[in-house]
Amino acid sequence: MRYAEPETVEEGLALLAAHDDARCLAGGASLVAMMNAGRVAPGMLVSLHRIPELSDITETGDGLWLGAMCTHRGVAAEPRLRGAMAVVRSAAGQLAHPAIRNMATLGGSVCLADPHTELPAALVAASARAEVAGPGGRRLVPVESLLVDGFRTSLQRGELVTRVFIPRGTDGAVGHHLRFSRVSSDYPTVSLSLVLVMDGDTCRQARVVVGASGPVPLHVDAADQRLVGTRLEEADVAEAGRLLVRAATPLDDVRGSAEYRRMLIPRLLGRALSQAREHAHV
Amino acid sequence: MSSHPKPEPVGDVVGASVPKPDAREKVTGRAVYTDDLRVPGMLHGVLLGSPHAHARILSYDTSLAKALPGVRAVLTAEDLPPVDIGAVIKDQPLLARGKVRYVGEPVAAVAAVDPTTARRALELIRVQYEVLPPVFDAEAALRPDAPVLHAPRGPGHPNAASHIRLIEGEPDGAWAKCDVIIEDVYETPAQQHIYLEPCSTLAEVDPDTGRITLHTSTQTAFRVQAITAEALAVPMSRIRVLVPRVGGAFGGKVESTNQPITAALALATGAPVKMTFSRTDDMTMMRSRHGARIHMRTGATRDGRILARQVRIYFDTGAYADDGPFVANIGSYFARGPYRIPHVDVECWCVYTNKLRAGAFRGFGNPQIHFASEVQVDRLAEALGMDPIELRLRNALETGEKWLGGAPVESGTLHACLERAREVSDWQRRRQRAPPAPGKRRGIGMAAVAHVSGLLGSSATVRINEDGSVNVSTGAVDTGQGSDTALAQVAAGALGVPLSQLHFSRPDTDTSPYDWCTGGTRTTFTVGHVITQACEQVREQLFEHASAMLQRPVQQLELRPGGHVGVRGEPGTSVSFGAISGYALYVAGGPILASARWLFPAWQLDTQRTHVEGLTSMGNGFFVFAAQVAEVEVDELTGHVEVLEAWSVHDVGRVINPAAAEGQIQGGFVQGLGYALTEELLWKEGHLLNPTMGGYKVPGALDVPRAIHSVLLEHPAGPGPFGAKGVAEVSLVGVAPAICNAIRHATGANIRRIPATGERVLRELLARETQGGH
Amino acid sequence: MSDKVSLSLCLNGAEHALTVAPERTLLDVLREDVRATGTRRGCDEGNCGACTVLVDGVPVLSCLTLAVRMRGRAITTVEGVQTGAELHPVQRALVRHGAVQCGFCMSGIVLTAKALLERNPSPTAEEVRQALGSNVCRCSGYARVVEAIVSLGGRP
Ligand SMILES: Cc1cc2nc3c(=O)[nH]c(=O)nc-3n(C[C@H](O)[C@H](O)[C@H](O)COP(=O)(O)OP(=O)(O)OC[C@H]3O[C@@H](n4cnc5c(N)ncnc54)[C@H](O)[C@@H]3O)c2cc1C
Repeated sequence: MRYAEPETVEEGLALLAAHDDARCLAGGASLVAMMNAGRVAPGMLVSLHRIPELSDITETGDGLWLGAMCTHRGVAAEPRLRGAMAVVRSAAGQLAHPAIRNMATLGGSVCLADPHTELPAALVAASARAEVAGPGGRRLVPVESLLVDGFRTSLQRGELVTRVFIPRGTDGAVGHHLRFSRVSSDYPTVSLSLVLVMDGDTCRQARVVVGASGPVPLHVDAADQRLVGTRLEEADVAEAGRLLVRAATPLDDVRGSAEYRRMLIPRLLGRALSQAREHAHV
Repeated sequence: MSSHPKPEPVGDVVGASVPKPDAREKVTGRAVYTDDLRVPGMLHGVLLGSPHAHARILSYDTSLAKALPGVRAVLTAEDLPPVDIGAVIKDQPLLARGKVRYVGEPVAAVAAVDPTTARRALELIRVQYEVLPPVFDAEAALRPDAPVLHAPRGPGHPNAASHIRLIEGEPDGAWAKCDVIIEDVYETPAQQHIYLEPCSTLAEVDPDTGRITLHTSTQTAFRVQAITAEALAVPMSRIRVLVPRVGGAFGGKVESTNQPITAALALATGAPVKMTFSRTDDMTMMRSRHGARIHMRTGATRDGRILARQVRIYFDTGAYADDGPFVANIGSYFARGPYRIPHVDVECWCVYTNKLRAGAFRGFGNPQIHFASEVQVDRLAEALGMDPIELRLRNALETGEKWLGGAPVESGTLHACLERAREVSDWQRRRQRAPPAPGKRRGIGMAAVAHVSGLLGSSATVRINEDGSVNVSTGAVDTGQGSDTALAQVAAGALGVPLSQLHFSRPDTDTSPYDWCTGGTRTTFTVGHVITQACEQVREQLFEHASAMLQRPVQQLELRPGGHVGVRGEPGTSVSFGAISGYALYVAGGPILASARWLFPAWQLDTQRTHVEGLTSMGNGFFVFAAQVAEVEVDELTGHVEVLEAWSVHDVGRVINPAAAEGQIQGGFVQGLGYALTEELLWKEGHLLNPTMGGYKVPGALDVPRAIHSVLLEHPAGPGPFGAKGVAEVSLVGVAPAICNAIRHATGANIRRIPATGERVLRELLARETQGGH
Repeated sequence: MSDKVSLSLCLNGAEHALTVAPERTLLDVLREDVRATGTRRGCDEGNCGACTVLVDGVPVLSCLTLAVRMRGRAITTVEGVQTGAELHPVQRALVRHGAVQCGFCMSGIVLTAKALLERNPSPTAEEVRQALGSNVCRCSGYARVVEAIVSLGGRP
C-alpha cells in the first residue's frame, strides 16, 4: 500500500485522480478497523489531515461551515452550533464513546455512509449540505442526496468532501438528538435526530430523521407535515410515528430485530419531541 | 471431612487490604503478558477455521500454502498423533479429524515468519468438505433422528455427553399436597468470558533435548502440561509450563487453549512459535458458558413450605464435551437450591450441538440453575402473598441439614446472609417502590445464593531461608483476582512474618508443587489450606530448634510477629527465624522446609436417601452462601433495564484481604449484570453473528450501578485458611435472578429468558398490557 | 510515496527513527518495533480501550491509528506516565484503592484518567464514568477504578 499526505485539496485531488484504488483517510476509525479485519485493502491512502482548510470552522450569516476533518469531539465542543444546528452538536457529543469521538471525523462519517451511525442522520435533520471537490471543481450537495445507499454515497471516483454547511434554520428552532443503544458505548439500535420550531404549544416546523432504520437516514416529509400545526398530542405523534414506520426498512441484527426497531421508532419519537421541547423552554 | 484446629493468624496481615505486589507493574505497563514475549527466530502461528457447522473432510491441499515464502509449517490432523483430548470425554482432536463439528473449528495450523504471511497462507489452504446436516438446539439433538456428532460411546443417545438423574422423596405423589404450583421454562445464554487478554502461547523446543517450554496465559500450568503431553503423545516430563501475567480468565483458560497446537507447530518447525489469537479467533474457537433450557416446576403449601420440585435441564455443550459433564454435575446438584424440599426429581442432559464448545465459566452450571430456581421461588412468594425474603428464610437449609444427595451443610449461613441483605438494602422501604423517573418503573429484587468452594488437589512448599525470610511455592496461577496476595497473606499470618520478607513463587511445572487449577472458587480456600498445613509443619520444625537454642520446652514457645520464636510470658526471650535457620543449616537437622498436599474428598452421596444416576464425581466442595439484591429502573418505552444500586452479602468465613474480596464481588456482580441484560452469543445457521467486542457487548463504566455494596460476613468454618471460604464465583451466581426479580417487581413482567434485553422486556410488558395485567 | 515510510516518532519525549509500512497501526509499531509492550491489544477494532494512548494529550485508540500519521505528534504511552521511580498520582491511586486485578485494561485506564485530570482536575464520579466510556475492564466492575480516580480530585 502507498501513502501520501497532501497539503492542499488540489494536491489531494491529483493523487486521487492518479491512482485507481486510492482512498481518503480521515479519522481512520472505521477505515483502519476494516483494514485490520482484512475487509478492505486500498492500494493507496490519501491522508487528509495536513490540509488546513479541511479543519476550518467558519461562520456566515446563514449558518456554519464545518471542515470535513473536524472531529466529533471538536463538533461537540462548538458553541456556535445553536438552535436548529444543535442537532449536529448533540449527536456528535453522544455517539460512540470518547476515544472514537476524539478520532473520527465529520467528513469520514458522511463518506462512510454507515446506516448504523448517527451523524449522517443528524446532518439530514439539519438540512446540511456537503461541499464536494472533484476534478471539475466544487459543488454543493444536500447530505440527504449524497447518501444513496448503505455504505454508498453519490461521490464520484476522484472526489472528496471538503466541508459541510449547517444552515442556521428558523429563529427559535431547537435541534435534538436521541440515541438508544444496548449499552452506552454501542452503536444505536435506533437514533432520532430532529429540528423543531414551536409557537407556544403549536408545532410550526418539524424535521424528523431516524437512524439505523434503513440503508440511509429515514426522512419522511409526510411525517414532518403530520406534526406541523398540531400541539404534538399523543395521537399526532403516534400518527407521525406510523408514517415513519411504514417507510422504515430496518435491519434484523444483533442489536435488535427489525420488528423491535419498528416498535421503537414511534415510542422514541414521542420522547425525543418532548425532550426537544424542554430544550426550547430553557 | 476432618475438622482442623483453627489457629489464629499471627500479626495483623490477615484481614488487611494490602495492595497487590503486582499492581505497580500493571499500572506502569511493565507487567509481561504472554504476547509481550519475543525470542530470536520466533515464528507466528495462526489457525484456519471451518466454514461449515457439520461436514466431512474429504481432502486437503496445503501445497500452495507451504510454497509461500516465509511459511515454515502447515499442519492438518494428518500430521498429528491420532489422539483426542477432553477433561471427561476424550472427544476433541487438536485439529479437526475426519469431520468438522462447528463453524470456526480449527482445521489447519500455519507457522510463518510473520503474522501477515501466516494469514496469507491460510487463504491458500484448500479443504474439500461434504456438508452434513447440522443440529443447533440441545433438545432437538436428543431426538432419535437428529444428526449425530460423535461416534456412540454407549447405549444412550449418542448426542448426550451426560445424563443425570437425582430423585429424593416421592415427587410424583407430592404435587397433590401443594396449594400453589409454579411452572415455567427458563432459558439462559451462551455467555462468553471476554477476558481482556486473548489466548496466547509461546512454545520453544530445545534442539538438543527436544524439551518443550510453554509460556502461556492459563489458569493452570499443570493441566496444560498434562493435556499437551497427551495430545502430542510425549511424556509430561518433556514439557515445562511457565505462566506470565494473565489478563483475565474466568474459567475460559481452565482447559487447554492454543497450547497443544502451538507446541505442535514448534515441534514441526524446530523453532519457537507464538500464537496469539485475534479477538474474533478467540471468540469463535475457544469456548463459552453453557446455554441452558430449564423446565422447572415447584410447589408449596399455603403457609410457605416448599414441598416438591421437578427440574429438567438441557445444557448445550456445543461440539465438544470439554468441562460440560462437570458443569452438568453442578447444575444438577444445585437444582433443589439451598432449600429443604423433601420431594425432588432432577433430570439433566448435557448435549452436543454443532456450535462452539461450552465449558467452564465462573459459576460452572450454577448461574443457569440459580436463574430458574430463584425466579421461580420469587414467583412462588408472589403467588403465596409472601415477602420473597421471608419465603426463603422459611425454607433455607441450616447447619447440619442435608443437601440434595445427602451431604451435610457444615456452615449454614444463608439465614445470616438473607437477614443482612434485608437490612443493608433497606428492603422493606424499597419494596414500597420509590417514585421512578417519568416513563420509568422501579423495583427491587433479590436472590439467595449457594455455591461450593473447593475441588480437587493442591500442594504447597514453604521454606525458611538462611536469613529468616520465607519462600512459598504452590503452583497456583494468579489470573488477576489477587490470589498471590491473599495466599502470601495467609502464609505471613500463619508464620508471623511481614509480607516484605516473604516471597511467593510464580508457577513453573519444573519446580512448583502441583495445583489443579485456579477455578471453582478454590484457590484461596484450597491452596490456602495447604499453605497453612505446610506452615504448621514449618512452625513445628522452628519450635524444635528454638527449644534447643533457648533451652525451653516446645510447649512454652510462641510465634511472634516479625519472624521470631519467643517464650510465652517472657517478652525479652526470643530467637529470630534467621538464627534458627542458621542453626538448622549448620548445626542440626538440615534446612527448614515442609510440603503439604490435599485432595478435596469426593461427593458424599447417600444412595439410601437419593436415587442417583450419571453423576460423575469430581470431588466435593464446601458449601458457601450469599444473598444478592438489585434495584432497577425499567424504561417503559424501550424495555431497557438499568440497575441503579446493588448489594451483595457474602459469608466469606474469614476476610483475608477485604479490598481484594470486594473487588471480586463487584467484578462478579458486573459480569452477572452482563449475563442478565446484554451478553449472548448469537448464531445464524451455525455462524456466530457477533464474534467481536462490537457485536457482543459487555458492560462499560456507564452501564453499571453507581454503587455495588459488598458486605462481608465472617462465620469461620471448614478447612480453609483461618476459616476462610471462597467468594470468586459466588458473586456472579445470583445476579441474573435478582435483576429479573426486580424487573418483575417493577413491571410485573415475568422474565424467563436472559439476557433480558430491551426487546425481550418490552415484549413482556406489551404482552401483559394486552392481557390487561398489572 | 513508497511502500515503506521513514518517520520519526516522538514517543514519551524521545524521538524514534523508524521505517514502517503505511498500513501498520501505531499499536503494532509500538509493540513490535519500539517494543513498548505496555500498550495492550484486546480487539483491534476500537471496542476495548486496552490500546489507548495519548496523542498531543488526547486519548485515542492506537489500534485504529496508522503509525505514519504520527509525524510531528507527541505520543504518550503508559511507559511515559511515570517520572523516574515516582508513580503518577493516577497510578498511585489505582494501586492504593485496590483497583488493579488482571491489569490488562490498566494502561488504557491510566492514560484516559491522566488526560481527564489534566482537563478537569476534580471530576465527579459521573464525569469519570463518562471519560472511561472507551475502556472495558472485565474484572473490577469499575467501582474501585472510579473511586480511585475521583479520590484525586477531592470531590465526593
Ligand atoms: C468502534 C467504533 C464505534 C463507533 N460507534 C459509533 C456510534 O455509536 N455512532 C456513530 O454515529 N458512529 C459510530 N462510529 C463511526 C464514527 O462515528 C465515524 O463515522 C467513522 O469512524 C468514520 O469516520 P472517520 O473519520 O474515522 O473516517 P475514516 O475511517 O477515515 O473513513 C471512512 C470512509 O470515508 C472515506 N472518507 C473519509 N473522509 C473523506 C472525505 N473527506 N472525502 C471522501 N471520502 C472520505 C474514507 O475513504 C473511508 O472510506 C463508530 C466507529 C468505530 C470505529
